[in-house]
Amino acid sequence: MILVTALIAGYLAGLCWAKWRKTNWQPPVLRSFWLIFVAFLPQVFAFYLPGVRNQIAAPVAAVCLVTSQVGLLLFCLLNRRLPGMYILAFGLLLNLAVISANGGLMPISTLTAAHLIPAQKLAGLEIGGRFGASKDILLLPETIVFPWLADRFLPPGWSPYQFAFSLGDVFIGAGAFLMLALSQKPAELAQERQPYTC
Amino acid sequence: MKTTAFRLFASLSKIQKQHIQFFLLALGLLMLVLGAGAPTDGGTIAH
Repeated sequence: MILVTALIAGYLAGLCWAKWRKTNWQPPVLRSFWLIFVAFLPQVFAFYLPGVRNQIAAPVAAVCLVTSQVGLLLFCLLNRRLPGMYILAFGLLLNLAVISANGGLMPISTLTAAHLIPAQKLAGLEIGGRFGASKDILLLPETIVFPWLADRFLPPGWSPYQFAFSLGDVFIGAGAFLMLALSQKPAELAQERQPYTC
Repeated sequence: MKTTAFRLFASLSKIQKQHIQFFLLALGLLMLVLGAGAPTDGGTIAH
């Protein structure tokens, strides 16, 4: 939800920015666009497709997640000239680092998980097992490698929608926002980079 | 029947190449951020 919100907010900010500059909003021109679809495909089966995602064992899901994120990181590097892409790639790198260091899935501590699900359901979950069909693995706080990069942040208590997110997610959201908000024509970009001449 | 077919054709002809490109771009960017990020709400467990 946080990431989809960042995309929508970036698009709306881009429209306002373009209107203020009296131009039309231009979508970002992406290189190797197909790579997103190919890289995301393993995650579709492991985390998104109902009926399939619950059947996939944690080690297989871990391989799917890591290979998928490596592919997406490659896409980010190929498109690094776009505004916000370095920030998005940095967030992805943070997530990939903590995921790889914790066995291939995003760690979530039992303390954080207690804010998301009822206590009796949490008690029934296996420590070290998948946190439902999500990308997360449930771990004890002291066993998490790079705990500050894990899914440990929560929205304010008054928020009706509670979810856990990582520092990497924040950078990814910020990068996606900037990419859409500051998107402009390649010709305009080149013009702005050139020094002013009479 | 003929009118319905005509209306369907007319509405389809309004879909331009730009609309499809925008849809694909939105879908691609959605996949990029969802694939790169890893927030969770415990949805499949909580409900």
